[in-house]
Amino acid sequence: MFRATLTARLAAVALLALPFAAPSANAETSLTIAVRRDSNSIAENNFNFTTRGPVAQVVETAVQPDANFVPQPLLFDAWDYADGTYTITLHPGISFSNGTPFNADTAIAALQLYDRNKSDFLQIDPASFTKLGDLSFSFRSETNSALVIENMTHRGTSLFADVADRATNPIGTGPYLLESYDPKVSLTVVRNPTYWGTPRNIDRLNFRYITDDNARLLALQNGEIDIIADVTPQMMLSMPQDGSVVLHESRPIRYVALLANVNGKAPFDILKDRAVREAVAWAIDREAIAGVLFGGRGVPAKGILPGWMFNLGDDHTDGFGYDPAKAAALLDAAGWKPGAGGVREKDGRKLTLRFLAAYPNVTSVKPMPEMLEQMFTAVGIDVDLVEVDDAGVYSDTYLANGEADLFMEFASNNNTDPTYLLTMLFTTTTPWGGYQFTAPGAHVDKLLADARAAQSRDEVIAGVRAAHRAIVQDDLTAIPILMVPNFVLSRPGLEVPMSEFTDWIDFGMTRIVAR
Amino acid sequence: MTRFLFWRVLTAVPTLFGMSLIAFFIVSLAPGDPVLQELRAMGSVPSPADVAALRAEYGLDKPVILRYAAWLGRAVRGEFGTSIASGRSVLAEISIHLPATLMLAASALAGAITISLALGVAAVSADRGVAAVLRTLTVVVVSVPSFWLALLLIYVFVMQLGWARLVGDGTPGDLVLPAITLSLASGAALGRMVRERIRAEMCEDHARLAIAKGLSPARILLHHIAPRIIGPLATAWANTLGGLLGGAVIVESIFGWPGLGQLILQAIAQRDFPVIQAYLVFMGLGYFATSLLADVTVILTDPQLRREVGHD
Repeated sequence: MFRATLTARLAAVALLALPFAAPSANAETSLTIAVRRDSNSIAENNFNFTTRGPVAQVVETAVQPDANFVPQPLLFDAWDYADGTYTITLHPGISFSNGTPFNADTAIAALQLYDRNKSDFLQIDPASFTKLGDLSFSFRSETNSALVIENMTHRGTSLFADVADRATNPIGTGPYLLESYDPKVSLTVVRNPTYWGTPRNIDRLNFRYITDDNARLLALQNGEIDIIADVTPQMMLSMPQDGSVVLHESRPIRYVALLANVNGKAPFDILKDRAVREAVAWAIDREAIAGVLFGGRGVPAKGILPGWMFNLGDDHTDGFGYDPAKAAALLDAAGWKPGAGGVREKDGRKLTLRFLAAYPNVTSVKPMPEMLEQMFTAVGIDVDLVEVDDAGVYSDTYLANGEADLFMEFASNNNTDPTYLLTMLFTTTTPWGGYQFTAPGAHVDKLLADARAAQSRDEVIAGVRAAHRAIVQDDLTAIPILMVPNFVLSRPGLEVPMSEFTDWIDFGMTRIVAR
Repeated sequence: MTRFLFWRVLTAVPTLFGMSLIAFFIVSLAPGDPVLQELRAMGSVPSPADVAALRAEYGLDKPVILRYAAWLGRAVRGEFGTSIASGRSVLAEISIHLPATLMLAASALAGAITISLALGVAAVSADRGVAAVLRTLTVVVVSVPSFWLALLLIYVFVMQLGWARLVGDGTPGDLVLPAITLSLASGAALGRMVRERIRAEMCEDHARLAIAKGLSPARILLHHIAPRIIGPLATAWANTLGGLLGGAVIVESIFGWPGLGQLILQAIAQRDFPVIQAYLVFMGLGYFATSLLADVTVILTDPQLRREVGHD
């Protein structure tokens, strides 16, 4: 009897204690994500608070890019374009987080707010907005551009409610609400309970700004953070291989390429000769470089835009293999004959190329410059290697003045406007100082201008495809080397939904499969 | 003393003016264009008019001397402009981050003073073997780069022992490791100075007389030597504080300490000219304030100087 009573009492105590012992099925889920830099601006005329990845969780864009960077419905359910005019149908049942319905009136107000705040990125005629119904309206492109919807996939075009205190309390339609913001320290968002779309898996996302690469990695190893959003190649090199840190990767998107100065003045005029540029392209052992850098996850590149992007395809460029004999033959044919010390010469001039590494910094591509230097030396090219670790020095001191023959860049097309990257880097009219030196000429200017003016997406893509081929194959002002995935590091037990577009990694949809 | 302070402040004005001029020109002439960086970050395809508008907005469309004149006119009224990167006023940016840096610098200075006095006194008092070990230790700590020391401390106290965390929130507990990192190097350097000063004073007649009279070493140190070396030490401490205020950038970055170091690193990377210029001016003011403090301390601790200043 006594034993039975004791057992019953113990069972009762155990039952009462159960909620404290076992994790609740409704326990809050949270993730701490390390970010390198706080890029939020609360400036009235340059307002990007909570629009820049990876903290872009509070507000949403009108449309979202699909896996191939093609715009898909989000806040806009449907759109139609004809003769410079867009007709929009909004997704029904959406509200801003302050309860204001997202309808034609508030959508127009949000777009006009954007037009007031930003540089004229979307190029919408602000006087052209016409309400057609509760959930439909129209507007005109100022330039008759068919790419306005493409540009709306840029996180910077996210739509805010037009409230007075948006600088400190941004109101959007997104899956999260801003909970706190401590500049350059942290930003925390909590799940929006009234979100109109698919609820996110994670209740709370805490973004910590940690500048130092080593500190981010050590914090992850120490269990203080769950995810590192900004991963550098150095972090991959020093990443422990014991499974305590997990690497997540997207498809290759970032390119490493050598941009050739084809419009420079002496002594930076050697690469005006396409044969020398082609020799450089054949002298590069891309497989060897891919094996050394980025944990072996890079792939030899045939272009600077991946084939999957915009459905460009892989067949419009041929690429270059590794053939030093062919490189040597091309140089011979171009009149650059082997001279003293193994360096080729032509009319008493040595084949010396100033090779500037790199944008955004040389640290991110080490030791690729040294590997390339050896490969070029092997075919008789003398390399004057200049390594800079600052994008400002790279741009202002060298690129802007055309003070090098080869400019190494590690970058990506961060825009869903298909014409964007090629226009900025390879047209003579580029607003980015210095890239006129890498522009093939009027024919590529025209291809890209026509693409930007094209009235259908198919025409735009055809123009981009032609311009891309000219740049990386026919004119060869960009010599592709590698395509590299986008990376995220996490602790074990997390499934991070990767995206090639860093701004579109949806950390709220991370699945916690193990603690 | 009031007159001394008045003249001291007055003579600082041309120094600060010259420093602000040099700082402005260095920042303005440094490679890097915030407009281009902004455009690249935006991902937009701007027209030449957009670029011109942005340049005008940042005041980059005017000659550098006119920009400096305009900046100086605003600066003397306490207006340092708006951060290009964050959109907050520069003063707001600095006020967000200054308290953390002050806290770190003050803690590190307190640690450095403690370490330096302990090291200096021990090196003088200990036997030759211990003194040699202490001297060697001092040289090693002075020679080690602060970032390396920081990583070593992180490895031991965060990764191995788990006594501290790396991702803090600016609370005093998170101050310990960065403060130790900074105070070790500064303390070792100051310790050498303490040792040399004590040794020099020990050779003076008044100290030899005290020894001959059989006074205890502690009494000699406190009553005969300390009053005579406190002035030079105060100057060194003040200089160290100035150095800690401006030199904690790397350590702040490694430990994620939300001080001015984080601010200036990001400002340099983003070519946030208004923030960089204001930071340099504030650092100059910091050095001026700490050296003034040192001068006052020297006067107050030296009877002869006190009398001279009093007579003036």
